[in-house]
Amino acid sequence: MEFVGEHLLIGKIGNFFVIFSFISALLGAISYFFATQKNDNGWKSLGRISFLAHGVGVLGIVSTLFFMIFNQYFEYHYIWQHSSSDLPLRYIFSCFWEGQEGSFLLWAFWHMVLGVIFLFIKNEWEAPVLAVFSLVQVFLISMLLGVYFIDYKIGSNPFTMLLREHPDFMDIPLFSNPNYLENLDGRGLNPLLQNYWMTIHPPTLFLGFASTLMPFAIGIAGLWTGKYKQWLKPAIPWTFFSVLVLGVGVLMGGAWAYEALSFGGFWAWDPVENASLVPWLTLVGAGHLMIVEHKRGGVMKSLLFLTFLTFILVLYSSFLTRSGILGDASVHAFTDLGMSGQLLLYLLTFIAIALFVFVLRYKKLPTNKKEEEFWSREFWMFIGALVLFISSFQITFSTSIPVINKIFGSSLAPPSNAIEHYNTWQAPFAILVLLLMGFSQFLNYKDTPLKTFYGRIIRGLVISAALSIGIGLSLKMFNPFYLFMLFAALFAVFGNLEYWLKFLKGKIRYSGASISHAGFALMMLGTLISMSNQKKISNNTSTYDVSQLGEEFDNKENILLMKGDTLQMGDYYVSYIGKEKQGVNIRYGVDYMTKNENGSYTKEFTLKPQVQLNERMGNVPEPDTRHFLLKDIYSHVTWAVLEDKKEQDSSKVDVQTKNLHVGDTVFLKRSILIIDSLRQTNLSRHAELRSGDIAVEAALTFWDFNTDKHHLFPVFVLRDSSKVFSIPAESEELGVTVSFDRIYPNNGSIDLTFIEKKTDQKEFIVMQAILFPYINLLWLGCIIMAIGLVVSVKNRLSGSKK
Amino acid sequence: MKKTHIAGIIIIAIAIAAIIGTLSDSSTYANFTEAFDNPSAEFHVVGVLNRDKETVYNPEENPNEFIFYMIDKENVEKKVVLHRTKPQDFERSEQIVIIGKAVEGDFHANQILMKCPSKYNDGSGEFKTPEEHKGTNAAS
Repeated sequence: MEFVGEHLLIGKIGNFFVIFSFISALLGAISYFFATQKNDNGWKSLGRISFLAHGVGVLGIVSTLFFMIFNQYFEYHYIWQHSSSDLPLRYIFSCFWEGQEGSFLLWAFWHMVLGVIFLFIKNEWEAPVLAVFSLVQVFLISMLLGVYFIDYKIGSNPFTMLLREHPDFMDIPLFSNPNYLENLDGRGLNPLLQNYWMTIHPPTLFLGFASTLMPFAIGIAGLWTGKYKQWLKPAIPWTFFSVLVLGVGVLMGGAWAYEALSFGGFWAWDPVENASLVPWLTLVGAGHLMIVEHKRGGVMKSLLFLTFLTFILVLYSSFLTRSGILGDASVHAFTDLGMSGQLLLYLLTFIAIALFVFVLRYKKLPTNKKEEEFWSREFWMFIGALVLFISSFQITFSTSIPVINKIFGSSLAPPSNAIEHYNTWQAPFAILVLLLMGFSQFLNYKDTPLKTFYGRIIRGLVISAALSIGIGLSLKMFNPFYLFMLFAALFAVFGNLEYWLKFLKGKIRYSGASISHAGFALMMLGTLISMSNQKKISNNTSTYDVSQLGEEFDNKENILLMKGDTLQMGDYYVSYIGKEKQGVNIRYGVDYMTKNENGSYTKEFTLKPQVQLNERMGNVPEPDTRHFLLKDIYSHVTWAVLEDKKEQDSSKVDVQTKNLHVGDTVFLKRSILIIDSLRQTNLSRHAELRSGDIAVEAALTFWDFNTDKHHLFPVFVLRDSSKVFSIPAESEELGVTVSFDRIYPNNGSIDLTFIEKKTDQKEFIVMQAILFPYINLLWLGCIIMAIGLVVSVKNRLSGSKK
Repeated sequence: MKKTHIAGIIIIAIAIAAIIGTLSDSSTYANFTEAFDNPSAEFHVVGVLNRDKETVYNPEENPNEFIFYMIDKENVEKKVVLHRTKPQDFERSEQIVIIGKAVEGDFHANQILMKCPSKYNDGSGEFKTPEEHKGTNAAS
């Protein structure tokens, strides 16, 4: 059958670019391999041409895919799956990398960019480093190939997978119509991802992931070419660049979660969050050991181990999130595209390469004959790196429980309270790291006389101890463990400030380490205070007691708010004022008020947490947060009636018909009514009426329980002297509809039917509100750390040029 | 012995402690029979909602309690008391994982995970013409 309007050429172009960039990467890997092995310039030029061609290929893939999204070619499965005709242009990037194929492409794109930059910095490392880059690209682009090799499908290709050929959809009747495209719209970008975070977070995170390849490749190159120590110089600035970008990427994820997802915080130890945090920890360890090795030597093996491990953990994290192995354990994981075998091969290949090179050169690696002194900076930096390693080990192990189940066939469940589990384990590591950060730099390399050392740190110790007691008392933090962490964080802040101002004389150039350390410590300080002092202010005040079931089920976190009622919550009085619907979102307005001395309320602010009616993910609550300088009030709806039920379900309503006279009183569920009078209706008042109709209305007055008056006027109509009908009147507030069914002219009585909602169907929401004190310290710390890292990278770059 | 060796030993010790600690911290997937045989232990139980019986959620009385009946993989049905709000979309769930323990005849859970049917697999229902698309948006 001929299908009308399909754009098949563009797919062929895209597919051509995929194959082109795959082959050029393969060629690049081979050429650069021989260029390194034989130290041959001919091979090197060939490698260079191949890698640049590969760059053109990747750009070609990227542009083609953008072109297809932009022009809404829904005949392609990927475009159909991730965009739709009504999607605002600003989300075009989000569509691009919402799916697995697009995110592989983003990753490959960054590798390509970094590789080309490295290629243009003419240097002796080009051939071996780009050999590694090219090989990585071979694996990554193979994820986009979408070809069959015997019976195994390699990769998933967005250019060749047409919607009508997709196994899930090929049999549906739509595709028996040659004009099917006229009736097709895309499924659209998941509404949950339609926000600016989805535009900035993935590219940053993937640049972070991609940049970990740099130290890995330079390290491999160093061992391969036998330049066991020289590789450090080019590797150090790239390593800290990677620490910067990956760190920012991970923290952006946290900020996104806090702003837009209802985790109730910024970090939930979700497997995917963990998978991106762990390589950052090992990378930070590797970076510090590089400096130790550069200055003093003796840690080459550990540093190579951590450098290689970092990249391998990035691959492992991609395996975890994309192979479907996490299953229900994470909200982030991609659906399984049947590429787990390929992903595993990618991971295992690079483990094998790293191991092979490491073992092959193990004996030749430089070591220090002499042992480092106890009171030397390098010793404690080494300890710091070990702590980071252990911390990442613990996180990896716990996160890998689904993998362990798969391998050993066990049925372990992940820790039921993940946040508590990880916090308990990671807090001591954080304290150690903070203490090490605080004092290590006051030690000299090589050795330090103890007296000098004490003299240097005593001031910082005293100030921090005094401050932690002060802060602890004022915030009522009496848990000794928290107090100790508070002290460690303050000590790290002041130690670094003092070191910068006194020992480095406040010079910006060398301030990178001090600033980023202080930033990290502030971050920890913010985390500690906002987490340990967070208050669920939405305490349930109902009398229902669950404490007989024991502490663990004693849940009072959620509060029920009736529309119009005012309840006390923490320092505020809150009132639910009603809901409004905007697109797919229902926003629930809650006023936060303070009480004046005379008993009246003053409105302080309104929060509008929302529920997104998301067809794909189910209905998703989104929080709303009021930011103050020193605290945040965060709230989200945990249960609400989503839709107004307009149709009156007979099981939910009471219907009664009464024969009444003017002046009679009727008692209803939520009001009392009196029939005031019967009178002729002005025909122009109701659209249903036309001239010639005889229309009588009953004037009814209702008193509700607040003794407010309401009036309703149901109408009885006689048309063409034979047809009768009623125009009912409804009051939503009173939950009643009245219809005027009949008039008995003989005694002047009338029939009224009352349709009442059965129970008190007053609108309400169940919500949760949390107060996070001093959470701005956390964000301030993030920014300061990023600034410090930028300074470090700049300084290291100018250092490596000399 | 070098100091780094000592550090290494300490590291290994902490690593082993972390493994053991994690294993003891993690509960296991089980069915109702096992859970009710060990009333004090915490389990993850996988099952489906019994749609024939009524679910009870009275937020006006207690917003933090929701009662339903679940059938586990061995076809054993138990009353489940969830000490949380009723999850949105609960009726749509395909599979439920509850985390908690058996307390006298009922299963008391403090956490719930739900697997909802992904629209991804249900074929034609999802196709929309541009008009329909705009229609749903305008209506909403």
